Amino acid sequence: MPHLMINGQSYYSDSPPDTPLLWAIREDLRLTGTKYGCGLGLCGSCTVHINGRAQRSCLVPLADVPEGALITTIEGLHPSHDHAVQRAWVELQVPQCGYCQSGQIMQAASLLARAPNPTEEQIVEAMDGNLCRCATYSRIVNAVKRAGEILREGLTNG
Amino acid sequence: MAETSQHTTAAGSATEPGMTRREFLVRSTATGAGVMLGIALGPGRLGTVAPVDAAEGMDAFTPSIWFTITPDGKTTVHIVKAEMGQHVGTSLAQVIAEELEVKWDDVRLDTPQESAENFAVYGLAYTVNSGSVTTEFDRLSRAGAAGRMALVSAGAKLLRADESDCYAEDSRIIDRVSGRSITYGGILQKTKIDRKFSYPDDFKKVPLKPRGQYKVIGKSIPALDIPAKTTGEAKYGIDVFLPNMVYGALVIPRTRYASRVLGIDDSAARKIPGFVKAVKIDDSTGKCTGWVVALAEKFPAAVKAATALKVEWDAGPYATLGSADLLREYKKLAQSTAESAAWVLEGDVDQALGQSERVLEMEYTTDMVCHATMEPLNATVAEVNGEWHVYVGTQSTSFARMTLTGYLAKILKKKPEDLKVYVHQHLVGGGFGGKQDYDEILAAAYCAREAGRPVKLIQTRESNFATSFPRTPTYHRLRAGLKDGGLVAMNHDIVCGWMGPRFSVGKKYGSDWLQLDAVDGTKRDIDQWSIGGSDHWYDVKNNRVRAWNHDPTTWAVQASALRTVSNSYNMFVVESFMDEVAHALGRDPLEFRLSMLNGKGSSRGIPNTGYPPGTGSDYYMDQLWISLPWPKEGTWIPYESTTVGGALRLANCLRVAAGKAGYGSRPLPPNTGLGLAVSSAEERQSPTWVAGVAEVTVDPKTGKYRINRLSIAMDMGIAINPRNIEAQIQASALWGASQVLSERLTLKEGRFEQTNFHNYVPIRLSQVPKIEVEIIQSGHHPSGVGEPASTVVAPAVANAIYNAVGARVRHMPITPDLIMAGLGKG
Repeated sequence: MPHLMINGQSYYSDSPPDTPLLWAIREDLRLTGTKYGCGLGLCGSCTVHINGRAQRSCLVPLADVPEGALITTIEGLHPSHDHAVQRAWVELQVPQCGYCQSGQIMQAASLLARAPNPTEEQIVEAMDGNLCRCATYSRIVNAVKRAGEILREGLTNG
Repeated sequence: MAETSQHTTAAGSATEPGMTRREFLVRSTATGAGVMLGIALGPGRLGTVAPVDAAEGMDAFTPSIWFTITPDGKTTVHIVKAEMGQHVGTSLAQVIAEELEVKWDDVRLDTPQESAENFAVYGLAYTVNSGSVTTEFDRLSRAGAAGRMALVSAGAKLLRADESDCYAEDSRIIDRVSGRSITYGGILQKTKIDRKFSYPDDFKKVPLKPRGQYKVIGKSIPALDIPAKTTGEAKYGIDVFLPNMVYGALVIPRTRYASRVLGIDDSAARKIPGFVKAVKIDDSTGKCTGWVVALAEKFPAAVKAATALKVEWDAGPYATLGSADLLREYKKLAQSTAESAAWVLEGDVDQALGQSERVLEMEYTTDMVCHATMEPLNATVAEVNGEWHVYVGTQSTSFARMTLTGYLAKILKKKPEDLKVYVHQHLVGGGFGGKQDYDEILAAAYCAREAGRPVKLIQTRESNFATSFPRTPTYHRLRAGLKDGGLVAMNHDIVCGWMGPRFSVGKKYGSDWLQLDAVDGTKRDIDQWSIGGSDHWYDVKNNRVRAWNHDPTTWAVQASALRTVSNSYNMFVVESFMDEVAHALGRDPLEFRLSMLNGKGSSRGIPNTGYPPGTGSDYYMDQLWISLPWPKEGTWIPYESTTVGGALRLANCLRVAAGKAGYGSRPLPPNTGLGLAVSSAEERQSPTWVAGVAEVTVDPKTGKYRINRLSIAMDMGIAINPRNIEAQIQASALWGASQVLSERLTLKEGRFEQTNFHNYVPIRLSQVPKIEVEIIQSGHHPSGVGEPASTVVAPAVANAIYNAVGARVRHMPITPDLIMAGLGKG
């Protein structure tokens, strides 16, 4: 499946069909915000949205990307990088080394799309698969809550 | 001087005629581009005692340029420290901005390219030891203030005002009589600045602000590197692309170290589309031993090819070695006390132990752990018209350049000075001490040579684990002499694999670089990075630490520095054992600790000694490492010692942390305990004072436990950016929690057994306790905050487990089976 629709832009990857989507995104299309961490779906650094659902792009071969699937990477999460999660991440100064944070943000955005007012348990459940070796976890939890607030304020303000 | 050196090819000749090596300048560049502020100093001691494979360029004349103000009014602060999560650029820029009186919005950061020429301008680029703020604070403050003085003079002339009537504020010089002002940019557009200061005399007379008047320091300014880390725009080494580049993936060698390639069968690999070739890396320098790299047009193809390559190795001397063998050998080595090297020796330990009413003797062990940075090690290298360009995120671009230069000189049979090597620094996707080896760079360069194309070498998670540079396993034997209700003697024996030899530290290893001699008169080597932390701050009149190096460990596992280095195990051991002593004496562990953190004897700090005349280098390593074991009174250190106050500051942290945790005053749920610990990481001579209390609940049926709450109090003197400090403390505490909970690397048949994050298990979000942080601003010289908190968590947890259910675990990590064994249910 070499034709890909990513962030509203169509791409062609000349990689073979068993290539993990991650490497096509990163190295063929040079959208490097999506990171390689483990290759086994254990760390979440490569998280992207496929048709609105957070998925580990290292586990999805190009052949398994559904025809016409809408893929969103960190670069396309918001046209001016001002998604509620991104705002909250800056406001609460979450990133340290930052390498895992694209994946964290994509995971959090996916959670909030489903549950804009998540409970602590929902946050832990949704985010537990995303490793952060700097262990910025305390701020991640707070930033997910804050992003939910920003989203809900946005909704309220119409 | 500054502009001259930038155009000078031989770094060693970067002196301007008429300028001595004891001067520094504030000057517009020849092109009128801006004001630079640099300092010129004589060659440091490193110049004569560099590590063997990093000697190139070390004799260079080494000025530093700290910042450049351009006529557009912007101030660019040049940061050679690596950005790896600590937001160091922001903190250092805050220090300069404070004294330079530059508006924060006018501040920019840049990362100079590393080259022989720039090394002479910007100095050594090396980020370790939580030392950036400690070592740079005074210099950057004075540099900023000197820049301000020069601007005030120039601005006063342009305003036709009396200099004494003028002051600087918000990137302007203001005449307080007329009220007229001129911006820094305006000054640079209209005039040239050329002002010379002598060093150290003028430099140390540069007036600094009273700390109470700080406006920028102490403010939680958002980190300048954070926004790009939320958008995908941040560039790490792994994000580099070069035209025509080819990818490299490593074939995991038979053993971690010293395997030798006998043959390569690439028949299966050749069938993989995009496969370019297999390259046997030249490992004659002892780096990249047994490495074969598969090159392919795409990375997944390179990984497939690496798997398909059939490589035959001579498995070398460590082919059968395992973790259990190491521990057995450590215990044996510890019997030969005559072979030990003493690191601490106070009073008469043997006599005092002999006269004790009771001697408590315990053994402790700790497993290996590794950095497992989220960004796996990688390097992209290109040879362009005879120049070598390295793209990487590393803790030391300087050592990367020097190491590659030495390597290329050897394999290309060229003189180092004929090689042009440039390192282009990127963000570091996690460092923790794990990005100060350069094997990927050497291998990528070798492959680039073989392929005639740029090479991007990426370690897979699996090959990254297989080629880890872990913390050594350790074995400890402790004895405490108890008498009259107190601790009168202590002996701590430590056996482990020293990391120093890998960096040529030690007479036996061909150099006296950073060499320390034993304090027992034997002149034996001591590797402080493997022993440090055992030199605790308790006032124990008879105290001895003895150490042994298990040399095969050093090489077989490639022992290295991991966040807080030896503090990470020695603090666990010392603080667990202190708790044992307190319990054995029937004393409360808090009261017992406070009684011995009395600021007397070896627990007293060292007063500020200022700048003695004629002292040479400003080098960090000189300051912190060579003047060991710790500066005696009267020894020059170029800033106020962070040891001022000594153990009294540690005692204060402990009181604060205990208070926050409600120690002794709060009802606890069943099977729940509070545990205390204190630490003075990083090194004894550059401590940051920290205490921690852990609340832990243990399930006595399974041994499983949960860390409910961590209370951390830290005295770092001055908090440059409190909100960032809070983040560093929280996260480094979790690093410590991760180590005590589950991190473990083991060796079997010369290889590490762990391969990915399912069998090497760092802490996850669901395990995160509540963390309370108290930042104590004592007003002393600032010290590093990125590491120390990690060292108190493991012992605090161990002590809490004991207080919860009575199981004393003398091993790290603390696993449920060890708790069950401690409960007699193992």
